Amino acid sequence: MKALLVCEQREGKLLDTSYELVAFAERLGAEVSLVLVGKEAQAPQVAAKLYLADVDKYGEYSPELHKHIVVAAVLKENPDYIIFPHSSYGWDLAPRVAATLRVGQVSEVVNIVDGKLEVSLCNGKLRRTVSPKGARAVLTVQAGAFNYAGQQSGAPQVEAIEISQGSSALQFVGYEPAEKKEVDLGRAEIIVSAGRGVGKKENVAVIAELAKAFGGELGASRPVVDAGWVGHSHQVGTTGQTVSPKLYVACGISGAIQHLAGMKKSDFIVAINKDKEAPISEAADVMVVADVLQLAPVLAEKLRAA
Amino acid sequence: MLVISCIKQVPDTTQVKIDPVTNTLVREGIPFIVNPYDTHALEEGLALKDRYGLRSVAISMGPPNTVATLKKACALGVDQAILLSDRAFGGADTLATSQVLASAIERLAQKEEVGIVFCGKQTIDGDTAQVGPGIATRLGFTQLTLVDRIEWLDLDKKRIRVRRKLEGRHEIVEAPLPVVITAVRELNRPRYPTVPMRLSAELTEVTVWDNQVLNLDVETVGLKGSATWVSKIFSPERDQGEIIGDGIKDPVGTAHLLLDKMLSKDLLAI
Ligand SMILES: Cc1cc2nc3c(=O)[nH]c(=O)nc-3n(C[C@H](O)[C@H](O)[C@H](O)COP(=O)(O)OP(=O)(O)OC[C@H]3O[C@@H](n4cnc5c(N)ncnc54)[C@H](O)[C@@H]3O)c2cc1C
Ligand SMILES: Cc1cc2nc3c(=O)[nH]c(=O)nc-3n(C[C@H](O)[C@H](O)[C@H](O)COP(=O)(O)OP(=O)(O)OC[C@H]3O[C@@H](n4cnc5c(N)ncnc54)[C@H](O)[C@@H]3O)c2cc1C
Repeated sequence: MKALLVCEQREGKLLDTSYELVAFAERLGAEVSLVLVGKEAQAPQVAAKLYLADVDKYGEYSPELHKHIVVAAVLKENPDYIIFPHSSYGWDLAPRVAATLRVGQVSEVVNIVDGKLEVSLCNGKLRRTVSPKGARAVLTVQAGAFNYAGQQSGAPQVEAIEISQGSSALQFVGYEPAEKKEVDLGRAEIIVSAGRGVGKKENVAVIAELAKAFGGELGASRPVVDAGWVGHSHQVGTTGQTVSPKLYVACGISGAIQHLAGMKKSDFIVAINKDKEAPISEAADVMVVADVLQLAPVLAEKLRAA
Repeated sequence: MLVISCIKQVPDTTQVKIDPVTNTLVREGIPFIVNPYDTHALEEGLALKDRYGLRSVAISMGPPNTVATLKKACALGVDQAILLSDRAFGGADTLATSQVLASAIERLAQKEEVGIVFCGKQTIDGDTAQVGPGIATRLGFTQLTLVDRIEWLDLDKKRIRVRRKLEGRHEIVEAPLPVVITAVRELNRPRYPTVPMRLSAELTEVTVWDNQVLNLDVETVGLKGSATWVSKIFSPERDQGEIIGDGIKDPVGTAHLLLDKMLSKDLLAI
């Protein structure tokens, strides 16, 4: 079985998800080749064939051109799977490639069991196995779901790839930075996060107090942000920030895959939840089964006294 | 010119429960809702109708009870609502779904020019995010995913400029019409129907197109036209973390135990 991995670089840096794709392909037992629109200096340090297209020529993201580059690599390698990270890049590009090749796509794969692909549904409460019917398929892989344990010291065999096809109807105008952040969770050593389980906006203050008592920052799950209880810069997860503090305390958070992807690399995870069976218990080192609104003030007081 | 919003009826996943004995999905009593992202697709279609006088159409593929979802769209003010429903469409994967939606859009385009097709960025049940791009590829429309703002629409020049929401930044792009846009939540705030609108919606007819109308090769739609198999649903297995104390009965004692644990692991800056 052969897999072509579509690596991603952003603003001159190769993203770690590229290595996660390698880990994923290893789990599949596939023979790997890579494709990157970037620079040789950013090439993943993996001993495999790498098709490299020059980012200066083809742009950081010019969809039609990148599509043709991936398709050109597919024609050379003839892979069974074409695998993308499930980022905005893969999000936009993977279905274009799938439609061009007329093959099926499985999005946001989180696990492989007996060669079958698992995707999550209903906010990670359930999983489903999906199998492509045809000989070839396009996959996107959930960030953080597969860890690359190997060395980043292999030497890729680089083959330059050039395409002559098509200009894009799409005209790139420019980038705009995201709105200014209120907090920088990326630097925090301790993060205490509030989930929908805190119940209402006023109760977020209870968790913010706890965060303060810890000397940490306040994080949040997405519903808390969507409800407007805190700003987006507090959001942890696939559509928020990816964090890896020394200590992560999840308060009233169920542990959906999109949240877990953003915090499961934390050194130590404490979950405070009413429900012993909440999926967060899977990621937690320690689970406290409690009403967080009762426990948090007591814990904050003990911390301040300590 | 037409602006078309594709909306899907989905189970309210926040209310989905698993039967602890059989470990399967409990389907009874779970309400259906409009896929949350599609409410933004619908709103933007209506906003363009209000602002530029485009004609707004909502389409949905699904079983006959999907009429309820389309009635909601009528109550919000769409000019036309079309249900794509046929036994042959059942069990479709994204490829087969895009095929049916695209052919309905083509049919509409025969009578009136289509400018913009709005989709949600993904659904909360299938979650594949492929249908919008699938429609774009089939129809040869320009694909604009993850859009959080329409900067401008120029109907004379037939061009649109949008902002896409990426990780930590936005991308501004311009494209000629027709386009397929997939909407993120930030695109707008969906309106709510007023009582008179709701009442008049009761009278609005939802048009139903089956395969007699669309006349698609049955090998390319539904389960038969699908390139993927979706098999068993199950509850993920997990190793649980260590459970400390009994926080329900004894919060104070449990807080103490937790603190000791964290101190022993040297996790606190004290
Ligand atoms: C494409 C996509 C991207 C997403 N990105 C993100 C993301 O970046 N970040 C993110 O967080 N989510 C994200 N989500 C949403 C995610 O799937 C979940 O819906 C979300 O994480 C759930 O938030 P929650 O755990 O706070 O709420 P819920 O799932 O509602 O969980 C609430 C929890 O609180 C517990 N609880 C209730 N009351 C109490 C109490 N009094 N005391 C203690 N515990 C209590 C309950 O037992 C439950 O476990 C994304 C979803 C999608 C589809
Ligand atoms: C748990 C689960 C997993 C699945 N996994 C796969 C898979 O891996 N590969 C695969 O090919 N299929 C899969 N399917 C089938 C797929 O969900 C259905 O074919 C569905 O009709 C279209 O895909 P989606 O719901 O993922 O839509 P998405 O592509 O996520 O939807 C994007 C947008 O397209 C529009 N749209 C989607 N469906 C309709 C509709 N019926 N009517 C009107 N507008 C619509 C909406 O605007 C929506 O916001 C899965 C289904 C389930 C329930």
